[in-house]
Amino acid sequence: MTLAPARQPDKVSAPESKEKRSSADTAFQAIVGGCSLIVLIALGGLVVLMGVGGQEAFRTFGLGFTFRDVWNPVTNDYGAWAPLFGTIISTLIGVLIAMPLAFGTAFWLTAIAPPKVAAVVGTAVQLLAAVPSIIFGMWGFFTIVPFMARHVQPFMMHHFRHVPGISLLIHGAPFGTGLMTAGIVLAMMIAPFMTAVMRDVFGAMPGMLRESAYGLGATRWDVMWKVVVPWSRTGMIGATVLGMGRALGETMAVTFVIGNVTSVGWSLFAPRSTVASLIALQFPESPAGSLRLSSLLALGFILMLLSFASLSLARMLRKDGK
Amino acid sequence: MTETRPQVALAVRNLNFYYGQNHALHDISIDFPARKVTAMIGPSGCGKSTLLRIFNRMYDLYPGQRATGEVLFDGRNILETGLDLNILRARIGMVFQKPTPFPMSIYDNIAFGVRLHERLNKADMDARVQDVLTRVALWNEVRDRLNAPAAGLSGGQQQRLCIARSIATRPEVLLLDEPTSALDPISTARIEELLDELKEEFTIAIVTHNMQQAARCADQVAFFYMGRLIEVDTADRIFTNPRQQQTQDYITGRFG
Repeated sequence: MTLAPARQPDKVSAPESKEKRSSADTAFQAIVGGCSLIVLIALGGLVVLMGVGGQEAFRTFGLGFTFRDVWNPVTNDYGAWAPLFGTIISTLIGVLIAMPLAFGTAFWLTAIAPPKVAAVVGTAVQLLAAVPSIIFGMWGFFTIVPFMARHVQPFMMHHFRHVPGISLLIHGAPFGTGLMTAGIVLAMMIAPFMTAVMRDVFGAMPGMLRESAYGLGATRWDVMWKVVVPWSRTGMIGATVLGMGRALGETMAVTFVIGNVTSVGWSLFAPRSTVASLIALQFPESPAGSLRLSSLLALGFILMLLSFASLSLARMLRKDGK
Repeated sequence: MTETRPQVALAVRNLNFYYGQNHALHDISIDFPARKVTAMIGPSGCGKSTLLRIFNRMYDLYPGQRATGEVLFDGRNILETGLDLNILRARIGMVFQKPTPFPMSIYDNIAFGVRLHERLNKADMDARVQDVLTRVALWNEVRDRLNAPAAGLSGGQQQRLCIARSIATRPEVLLLDEPTSALDPISTARIEELLDELKEEFTIAIVTHNMQQAARCADQVAFFYMGRLIEVDTADRIFTNPRQQQTQDYITGRFG
């Protein structure tokens, strides 16, 4: 890069301005480099904070802390299995419900809906994605919980009580709170996110490819399953993992509707807890330096690992598809 | 050739087409002779691709697009509502500007369309796949990797695969929308050779920007300008002695 000679008043100032340029360049590099460094520091800091804070819990209970099914503040005996179980199962339920919902909406928006309707619904999806999770929590508490208690679980009990296997999944008193309710609320929360991402993925597919399939006489169903889905596999995995990440760490919405009982069991309708909800509820009452606080930090550490694991799983799946 | 086969595959009568409020085709009337190549030429936006997309009702995918008039195919107006589009599209195949292999194996790319309309056992399907790949001169190049993803083929191979895919459903008409615009000269030459063989069996309508291509491949050439059919005649007449000044100007490169 050279400056246009006409712009330089005389030859003496030329080296100076060059120097100024290069120092400005250096400063710019330092600033943007610093921004990136903050990312690394933040990530490292979080891992260290959680790890060091949870050290005492891991020292007291060993690495088996992760799989101990006990959470008893009275006897000061802690293990991560119950909240971890709740987190994993409620997330799975949420993702399982949200995935077809998001897929269907996204496909309808991109391939079937008239553009004007699609624009309105598309905006609604984005608005829904922007609703704070506490709103979903209250909605779940006032709407889904009573509905589950009065209708869904009694209905299931009535019809499936004697079916082996299923009866295990639905037994218990109809509180309305529990894994299923949490899963439904999570699904409603993450589905708009996943829809928005999947819609972009489908939209990125070349129109000609779609037309080629229609041009052979394919129905919408054929086009969807045999062309759109294989083509968008990578993007759909990405969308699902985004949703899953949000569900794993979701705190407020889940705390409202899961019942907050630290236990493990088959029933999807019994109150449970998740890592995030347990931390949120018990953090204020855990004194500094206590084993209980350390256990909560250890829970946070495990939750972080779980999120990293789901992210790397997505990476692996993505490479598979290529 | 038997006498009973129709001499005109597609008969267009007073066809008008609208993209919403935009009147894109004005009163088009043209015959596409059976088992001949008809090339459609004209500057971009003149309506030639639009016409092509009417023949397989592709415009139906998009709301706001509509056609009036008649396109007679096998004695029936294909613009009628209530026509089974999936069957129509199996009988009138289409190949696009760029190769569009499906995200699946070479074999499945061919079998995809066939499976939509016919139930073939494994042996018959294998035979069909081999037959169409042989006809597009691709068989020897891909016979050992039929189960490999079609995306791994070169551009020219992919386009021949797309042609094979279209003829695998045994259509009567083949619509080609600038099929060589994304290909190198050698691949283009191979596709053009292929058209010469395919017209023994199929009626071919090809949109092209390449005048030499139209001169080389087509029996009949139609010149479009601003949504109107200016002139249609044999390729010889159009390129040596056109009746309309506009045609003359376009083929000699004075505009377009």
